Amino acid sequence: MNAPNERLRWAAKYPELGMEPIPVEPCISPEYFEREKEQVFMKTWLKVARIEEIANPGDYKVKKIHFAKTSVILIHGKDGKIRGFHNTCSHRGNKVIVEQGEETFGRSKAAVVTCRFHGWVYDAQGQLAHVPEEDRFSPCWEKESSGLTPVHTDVWEGFVFINLAKMPAQSLSDYLGGIGTHLAAYPYGAMNRCFSYHTTLDCNWKIALDAFSEAYHVSTIHAGSFPNVFSTGLADVELFGDHRTTGICLTLNAEPTPVARIANEITGASLVAKRGTSMLPPSVNPGRREDFSFELSVVFPNILIHISEGIWFTHQFWPVAHNKTLWEGKYYVPEPKTNSERWAVEFAQVLQRNAWLEDTATMEDTHAALESGAKSHMVLQDEEILLRHGYKVLEQYMSAK
Amino acid sequence: MDNSLPKGFEMLEPLVADWSLPTQNARQERRKASSRGELRYFYDNMLPKLPAILSHLDGYPLGELPAATARLFALSLSLAEVAPHIELYNGNPGVPFSFAEDRFAAEHGEAAF
Repeated sequence: MNAPNERLRWAAKYPELGMEPIPVEPCISPEYFEREKEQVFMKTWLKVARIEEIANPGDYKVKKIHFAKTSVILIHGKDGKIRGFHNTCSHRGNKVIVEQGEETFGRSKAAVVTCRFHGWVYDAQGQLAHVPEEDRFSPCWEKESSGLTPVHTDVWEGFVFINLAKMPAQSLSDYLGGIGTHLAAYPYGAMNRCFSYHTTLDCNWKIALDAFSEAYHVSTIHAGSFPNVFSTGLADVELFGDHRTTGICLTLNAEPTPVARIANEITGASLVAKRGTSMLPPSVNPGRREDFSFELSVVFPNILIHISEGIWFTHQFWPVAHNKTLWEGKYYVPEPKTNSERWAVEFAQVLQRNAWLEDTATMEDTHAALESGAKSHMVLQDEEILLRHGYKVLEQYMSAK
Repeated sequence: MDNSLPKGFEMLEPLVADWSLPTQNARQERRKASSRGELRYFYDNMLPKLPAILSHLDGYPLGELPAATARLFALSLSLAEVAPHIELYNGNPGVPFSFAEDRFAAEHGEAAF
């Protein structure tokens, strides 16, 4: 083992994380995955929507939550509050909202949802509002206590989170703690033109999340889409309890290509374009480094939030099985004001899609290779400190009573 | 089919049938199905006109384009799709060393513009 030196600056800042190799069992063991669902995913706050997706009273979204074998209705009430419920009818348990794919959207002027099986109607508070032939049910049956089963739901900075625990250990605000403050006051809602992708990856959710949680891979994996872009190292790594954040600094060592130059001149909506004044919260890139590209924050357990100037994006990794993960990548920019801005957004977004295609290329190979059993541990370098912290936090959840 | 483009852009009209496509999914499919030569031909014809195209487009409010200008806009969006392949990927119609493109589902992929 090397002695700590200036090349090991994060190990020096966070000695409690150690520098040991990390076991790979948590990435490949089906038994570990079963316990992980109970110990982590059934207990933590998980982002399931943005408020802009259900902006008006009566708007609702239904999202499948595979690991919990449920789907959750998120409905915007007339009182302005967003509430979550299991998509399960109180009558004979049918799905209240018939789903199409992973996410289903709808709106109801009256802010109610109706089960199409027998027409039971629930309001946005989850109360059972109407039952056809109600007088034919037993007099002992109570309509008042037959509402939808609620799911703890709260909103932070326009991100809608759920917690599937019967009684969450912490409020969303306490759960986020310092990372909630660090990433607050960024104009997420003002940049709500969303380009959204998803796919199912044949790998463990952590292999996918880890691949996006370091910049060590930039000069190899992104040699195609971001050639001559080099990571100038992590900046201002901060650990906030279960969560973690870093500045990603990138340097472009070449003149932009012809079309890229025209696009960058219009919007600056590229991760390696130069920019002027900042929309970033003061704690993000506090030194206002010139080579700062974006802030990479991991909100435990499964979402990465990246904020930059005029663009932000998220990656989320939903565990489906020990070797299956639903990935969602969402890219957000301000609504373009002109046709040329719309064109420049297209250029930057398509290039980012290509970079994500490069990122996702390794994940299934990593999982398959680890399943061979050839390696019992992985080795992390100092700039992969966020991965190390992730495994540390996971271990704490797994050993909790 | 009307392939006409606004005055001053008539020379690009032969590209319209193949490349003036209103959705990102369609533009991506067209690029993937093209040969290296087709990508190069499209790029070489479009690049010199790009600044003029963008300034012409900005003569209209966002999303309020007459039909011929809308065709020109869709052509320019195809250039956004194709440019990385010429400028960065050595003319390769695919993204080199990437995940299977057809496994990425784009929720915005069928939206016009």
